[in-house]
Amino acid sequence: MKYLKTLLMTSVIGLTALPALAQQNIVWWDFLSGGDGVRMKALIDGFNKEHPDIQISGTTLEWGVPFYTKVRTSVAVGEGPDVMTYHLSRAPLGLEEGVLSEITDEDMKNAGLSRGDFFEAPIKAATYDGKLYAVPFDIHAIILYYNADALKGSPYLDDNGKLTGIKTLADFEGALKWLKDNGMETPLTYQTGGDGGVWRVFYTLLKQQGGEFIADGQVLPGDNAAKAAKAIQTMTHWQEEGWAPQQAEYEASVALFSSGKSAFQLNGVWEVPTFNDLEASGKLGFKWGAVEIPPLMGQPATWADSHAFAIPNQGDKTISGEKRKAVMEVIGWMEKHAIKWASAGHIPAYKPVTESDEYKGMEPNATYASLAAHAAYDPQTRVTGVASPAYDAAINIISPAIHGYMSPEDAVTQIQEELQGQLK
Amino acid sequence: MAMIENRRKKSLIALSMVAPFVITFTLFFLYPVVEMVRLSFTDAPLIGPGNWVGFDNYVKLITDRLFITSLKNNGYFILLTVVPTTIIALMIALAVNRLKGGMQALVMTLFFLPYVLPVSVVTEIWAWMLDFQFGVLQPLISLISGKPVAVFKNPYWVMPTVAVVTIWWTNGFNVLLFIAGLRNIPKELYEAAALDGATSFQRFRRVTWPLLWPVTALVLTLQLILQLKIFDQIYLLSQGGPFNSSYVLLLKVYREAFQLNHGGYSSAVATVLFVLIAGVSVLQFQLLRIRRG
Repeated sequence: MKYLKTLLMTSVIGLTALPALAQQNIVWWDFLSGGDGVRMKALIDGFNKEHPDIQISGTTLEWGVPFYTKVRTSVAVGEGPDVMTYHLSRAPLGLEEGVLSEITDEDMKNAGLSRGDFFEAPIKAATYDGKLYAVPFDIHAIILYYNADALKGSPYLDDNGKLTGIKTLADFEGALKWLKDNGMETPLTYQTGGDGGVWRVFYTLLKQQGGEFIADGQVLPGDNAAKAAKAIQTMTHWQEEGWAPQQAEYEASVALFSSGKSAFQLNGVWEVPTFNDLEASGKLGFKWGAVEIPPLMGQPATWADSHAFAIPNQGDKTISGEKRKAVMEVIGWMEKHAIKWASAGHIPAYKPVTESDEYKGMEPNATYASLAAHAAYDPQTRVTGVASPAYDAAINIISPAIHGYMSPEDAVTQIQEELQGQLK
Repeated sequence: MAMIENRRKKSLIALSMVAPFVITFTLFFLYPVVEMVRLSFTDAPLIGPGNWVGFDNYVKLITDRLFITSLKNNGYFILLTVVPTTIIALMIALAVNRLKGGMQALVMTLFFLPYVLPVSVVTEIWAWMLDFQFGVLQPLISLISGKPVAVFKNPYWVMPTVAVVTIWWTNGFNVLLFIAGLRNIPKELYEAAALDGATSFQRFRRVTWPLLWPVTALVLTLQLILQLKIFDQIYLLSQGGPFNSSYVLLLKVYREAFQLNHGGYSSAVATVLFVLIAGVSVLQFQLLRIRRG
């Protein structure tokens, strides 16, 4: 089959144009769907148009465990892609599995990049033992979306219609109470019946207390357990007061906000294009904004992760030479054109783009860009990160706990029992 | 001499006829099974070799709380499905058997239809119907429990609900088996029984039931094997939660291997499941045969 393909390829190339013989074909895998996927495909098309000598053929695979399993198995037999997207939070397991090849300084030079061009947090999350294993593309975090029209008449809106006066948990809950008293059924929405939404909010509330989920190989050691319990307690309280929706699946949680039934939403920056598009087509029906999550529990911190580009380590078949150069050229081009990626809500990890005037003019992106300084990444362990046992614990333990099936303290104990054994 | 040659020729022909099966069986079943058992004694990752660790994985299994939970949940699920699904299938088959011609074909098709659907479609349909916020079945649940229930996120509802979905999905096949069994019962027996003045209950008890028993034993055994292997519905509907109340053995195999890169340990779980299925199903089939005798 492969020979047949090669044969066909060569004959087609031979028939069309001779100079094209030097063309590099880059096999690209990603897991980006929805608005992310549309924007990434546009970027790939843009690159292909500008570079007749390098052509990317992209494939989008299923997000999460299926993607990482596919990478693992295909790389083992040398049939992996030339370049792929990777969550930095998933890098520890990738390294353990040996599927990431080191991005050397020379590679970076070939891409026209240097480590100093990037925000510190994602670079740190991509570096192990001083070696870089992926090139960060963005920082994506959760933010606080608000419906300005719903807050009209409350003390939480300034003269310009911007959110104001929410600096502590008491302020925030005051606003939720005000909304409830004024007839809003579900003032705050987030994905309460799913792993991602629950984990991100929980982790944010934990980090805002200065808590560590895993330290020195221990799950929630010392007073971190109490901090985790407090985080769960807070989420439970929102539930008990009827401020947050019961068992909302992801789509339902977004719909609650876009339909105006919730005035606040805790969700990823990736939903920004949804509301931008709805607003542009006149279907939203209210003014909205988004800010970095206020330091509800004391100090600023926000759950964050990064999409990054990585080159699979396939033993003898790991790409090298001209092909590797071409791949690095692709990565460099993507980084420099990340402004298009920013329109998907993400904060580009490549600072020159984030610092550009064009980015600063983007709203609400520029408003919440401040969170890059407080981005709290998942601990670098094998049990945390996207589609990890920590996410399982979020849906399996934390979500039932905030719905009243279990006390926050018991939930913390169960998380410890569940994850501690898997840390090895 | 000619006889021997003939016999040799015959066995060659026989061999060539069974060869395709033997080869496929060895390559795609026997070899993987042997590999699985071998891997279960190593600390291998998902891909690649590992070190020999003897019975370490099995010793670890005994103290693995999640493994014990999975084992219990598998047992619970079997209780919820195997006998109920057999009884339901029998009742449907008896009812369908009374219908005639086109009507019978139509009703049979309707019962068989869900079985044709892939599991993803089945779970999607039920997830929609039972959705906490918008599900059309929530009013029905409210009738029973007084308020809407997020069934797949409630530790008490999750397994029974998955059982209902599974029975709805797979029952068509069992109905078909029972109908085939019913059709195999000679009509004369019923006529003779009727002549002797047997009531319809007596006819069922003395004619239908004993003659249908082999099929019943088959259905029970097939269901036992099938339900021990429960995975897809759980993976798609509840991911093993909440509080691991729907965590099952195959989910454990999957998570250990693909999420945590523990090939060896996951093989140990798979081996236990394999032995369990082989042991329990043989035992059950033998027991059912004794009862019949």
